[in-house]
Amino acid sequence: MPTTVTMPRLSDTMEAGTVIKWHVKEGDTVATGDVLADVETDKATMEMQTYDDGVVAKLLIGAGDRVAIGTPIAVIAVDGEDASSAGAAKPAAAAAAPAPRAAASTDSPVAVTGTVVMPSAHADTGARARISPVARRMAEELGVDINSLRGTGPGGRVIKRDIEAAATRKGSGAVAAPASIMPVVAAPAPAAAASMPVVAGPGSREVAVSGMRQTIARRLVESKSTIPHYQVSMRFNMDPLLELRKMLNAQLEPQGVKLSVNDFIVRACALAMAQHPYFNASWAGDRIIIHGEVNVGVAVSLPAERGGGLVVAVIRNADQKGLRQISLDTRALAEKARTRGLGPEDMMGATFTISNLGMYGVDHFTAIINPPNSAILACGAAVERPVVRNSQLCVGTELDATLSLDHRVIDGAMAAEYLTTVRHNLENPATLLV
Amino acid sequence: MSMLSEPSTSHSFDVHGKPGERTSAPATTGRRDLVDPALCRQWLRDMLMIREFENRCMQQYQDKKIGGFCHIYIGQEAIAVGCTAAVRPNDPIVTAYRDHGHALARGMAARHCMAEMFGKIGGCAKGKGGSMHMFDREHHLYGGHGIVGAQIPLGVGLAFACKYMDEVIDGRPNSRVALAFLGDGALNQGAIHEAMNLAGLLDIPCVIICENNGYSMGTSIHRGTTMGHDIISKAIGYGIDGYVVDGMDCLSVYHDMSAIVEKCRRESRPAFVDMRCYRFKGHSMSDPRKYRTPEEENQYASDDPIGRLKLHLEERGELTEAVLKEMQKEIRDEVREAIAWSEASPEPPMSELYHDVFVEPHGPFNGTSLPQMLQGKDLR
Amino acid sequence: MSTVTVIDPTMTATREIEFRDALREAMSQEMRRDPRVFLLGEEVAQYNGAYKVSKGMLDEFGPRRIIDTPISESGFAGMAIGAAMMGLRPIVEFMSWSFSLVAADPILNNAPKMLYMSGGQFGCPIVFRGNDGAGGQLGSTHSWCVEGLYSNVPGLKMAIPSCPEDAKGLMTTAIRDDDPVFFLESERMLGMKGHVPEGDYLVPFGQAKVRREGTDCTLVSFGRPVNFCLDAAAELAKEGISCEVLDMRTIRPLDIDSIVRSVRKTNYGVVVDQSWSFGSPGSEVASQVHQHCFDDLDNFVHRVHSADVPTPYAFNLEQEYLPNARRICEAVRSCLYRA
Repeated sequence: MPTTVTMPRLSDTMEAGTVIKWHVKEGDTVATGDVLADVETDKATMEMQTYDDGVVAKLLIGAGDRVAIGTPIAVIAVDGEDASSAGAAKPAAAAAAPAPRAAASTDSPVAVTGTVVMPSAHADTGARARISPVARRMAEELGVDINSLRGTGPGGRVIKRDIEAAATRKGSGAVAAPASIMPVVAAPAPAAAASMPVVAGPGSREVAVSGMRQTIARRLVESKSTIPHYQVSMRFNMDPLLELRKMLNAQLEPQGVKLSVNDFIVRACALAMAQHPYFNASWAGDRIIIHGEVNVGVAVSLPAERGGGLVVAVIRNADQKGLRQISLDTRALAEKARTRGLGPEDMMGATFTISNLGMYGVDHFTAIINPPNSAILACGAAVERPVVRNSQLCVGTELDATLSLDHRVIDGAMAAEYLTTVRHNLENPATLLV
Repeated sequence: MSMLSEPSTSHSFDVHGKPGERTSAPATTGRRDLVDPALCRQWLRDMLMIREFENRCMQQYQDKKIGGFCHIYIGQEAIAVGCTAAVRPNDPIVTAYRDHGHALARGMAARHCMAEMFGKIGGCAKGKGGSMHMFDREHHLYGGHGIVGAQIPLGVGLAFACKYMDEVIDGRPNSRVALAFLGDGALNQGAIHEAMNLAGLLDIPCVIICENNGYSMGTSIHRGTTMGHDIISKAIGYGIDGYVVDGMDCLSVYHDMSAIVEKCRRESRPAFVDMRCYRFKGHSMSDPRKYRTPEEENQYASDDPIGRLKLHLEERGELTEAVLKEMQKEIRDEVREAIAWSEASPEPPMSELYHDVFVEPHGPFNGTSLPQMLQGKDLR
Repeated sequence: MSTVTVIDPTMTATREIEFRDALREAMSQEMRRDPRVFLLGEEVAQYNGAYKVSKGMLDEFGPRRIIDTPISESGFAGMAIGAAMMGLRPIVEFMSWSFSLVAADPILNNAPKMLYMSGGQFGCPIVFRGNDGAGGQLGSTHSWCVEGLYSNVPGLKMAIPSCPEDAKGLMTTAIRDDDPVFFLESERMLGMKGHVPEGDYLVPFGQAKVRREGTDCTLVSFGRPVNFCLDAAAELAKEGISCEVLDMRTIRPLDIDSIVRSVRKTNYGVVVDQSWSFGSPGSEVASQVHQHCFDDLDNFVHRVHSADVPTPYAFNLEQEYLPNARRICEAVRSCLYRA
């Protein structure tokens, strides 16, 4: 059986070699130890010897040829077999370079000590609140809103004693201070006590609920069950606004700005706060906090890959921003929600919230107050209807808006007055420009 | 370099130099009489076995079956075979990383050595040692060590333990001798000197054998070692008897070492041997041997230890061509089988990663167990 | 190890002896019990031990078993390892662990690796022991805390007692252990007196001891600094801070479970380690605590080490260099946000 000689590994880092000079020719007799060729490696030129006695049947490469290790380069007929029967090299018979040794065997690898993988329950939202791990966990367990706390640790870090102190301040019976929807969840919310077990019937399927969704769920339950909600509705004549909007958008189009109806509503509500400060306030148990900034929260829908649902994105100092800025801010937040995801700074601190389902064709609806706000405005679509103007029946575009209010802070008369101001702003839209 | 070349009579190269006059150390016997011819033929076979094994190792290394380092013993076979013949099976042996010859001479099966180098579970160290770590508890081979010189204090310790067990625990005279091999390159390590001092001081029956092939990697002995022409002076400096032995001649090695070992065993004293030899290949597989001339290499190659013993047997009519051919064929088959066996042997399972770190299991460390080749055997 | 008899030392202890006496008792009891055990090192025999740890042992066991060596740590450590490979059970004394550095090759490259390299054939049931740590104005080359270097190596066990009762129990365990054990004593503690039971008893490896129970902060320490922690805890108690002090007793294996149990209770961890800080047992403990107790911590694990400088000679500098009780108190207060 002829032996195929392959390019040998002559140094431990060698990957390919060049035959500089053959010392034998086809037909030569060789003995073990005889030098077949000088081979240039990555480090030096070395002699290549034969390990078998026999006759050189074939040289497969020439001087100057560079080949990878394991490549057949010669055939030696051993044990007196016919040299001419060697023919072409048979790669299968050659001592070809074996496949690189796989690092892993077929066994499952033994876990290396010390690399216990902690399940990550932290949503990746970029900047996180400064809070120690145990404080975060305790806050969840005790239902303490860490946004309402000022941490006493270095750099404002919220630490264990801050949670302990906050928990004792809660007093008996009262639920924890209401919190705005928290995007950062330390651990899944504790299961609600005494809820009725839900049995999945045939054909039903289960959908996993993200930590954020669980938090949203809990906040909504808290809001609806602890805040005495009531609603006040008003219908607005949208024609003047729509006309102004059309004109402004035409002018703004070259700048890539497109005002939406909601932008006007945001400004209208924000401006109204000056005369109706209790709509920009929060119930704090023994007092009402009237906020200094007017931060209007707008509902932003999250794409499915971000958890779906609605979160409130905040337009800060909306009373000091023009329509254009409000529009740009809103678009930026929506874009961010879709791409990178919103951070806590985007979602915290709303003092009043607007929820607009108009683009879905909804006529009117009621919204749940977003704690710690005292009010939320639910807007329907601007629809063409038969209307009575100046005692004449005609066609007009109207929008239904429904306020949900915290009766502890705002009574019905106040609500009516606020809506009247908002209506004035919307139906005299020029006021929104100044 | 053929295995069967004739010894040459011209010696224009001498890598060792001439030893000085010595009065304290007895001369080595220099005997070369033929012992029982059957025994001699066995030694020839052992040397041929080592030669074939090492040739195939080179081939397997170049075929990437063997990784890391590989140090070839070709040229020095007479030392491993002759020394093994001169000691008892339970005399412990320790050597450095050029250890395949000692392993085979001591009686390890070729397949277990090859499998170890292939990194397979069938290897003598379950594939976790490699070429430099041939261990065999059954045959009292304590390694196979990688750090230059580190094995000599170990060898002194082995002899110390033998003597302690015999004299302190069993209350009888010391019965064993340890052989500790090193290369001339290790002579300058501090550990060697500390070990020799301890051996001389505490009367430890350890024979320290320097396989002096004149080169430590690419540095000739004269470039690295003071008194390189007369290295036994270093041992004599520690009160240890030193001997110069022709390491290229199996019969000389056998006769000289027999005398030295018996003296050490009887007197429970150490000894140092300058075993002069020549390694035919490079220091390791990556060594192109640019520091030696082809003429020098050819001169030593023409005085091949295997050739010498073969000629010695043939001259006395104790070896026929047919017997020799049969020997060579058997050896070739045995080594071929060892390679096939090693290829078929599986890689160590992943559980071996955390095995043999500690004797007792705790944490991720799951205790220890003997390699396959020793299982079921009565060790000690 | 077969059966482990751990007698609660506090229940049966009736006498007080010195740390050095406790070490000697352990070695002597084991040498009487097992003829394979012997002691070698510089000045251990005729000088009766440079620090009198082996005092009187030459008289009892003779020069074949208590062996004076020349100053050649590399040589005699290697020799002892060879003897251990053959089945003897040597105890090698380094006059100071600082001197073990010249024997680093045999003790790190051979002893812990022999079982693995030989595929399970040859173990190394050896004990290396000696003085570890600073505090006696011995200067920078004689004040090493080798746990900072050697604890890194797999295949060795490392014991570090803080008191005489543990010195004896851990030493007994070390000698009976079939694996190489690095036994770290302290020159400063050799004269420390403590209750030590008579007879032989084992303190198991990998089991920490709570030296002082507490609720506010977990102090984790090894060896002599455990005593600094106890001093600090007493001081902090006056401020109303209740510290739990864990004496780890062995660095390898490390009883991480005890640490985790304590930190889960207190929410704060401070490691006190006499080695330098970079890549030390203290950093390992802190890292493991962060991993296992991530949600239980109110602050990161604080560490008190010897200052990251070569050990100074001057008394005042060296005292500040050490992880002393004052620095431990400061670390605890800082960790608890009460600085």
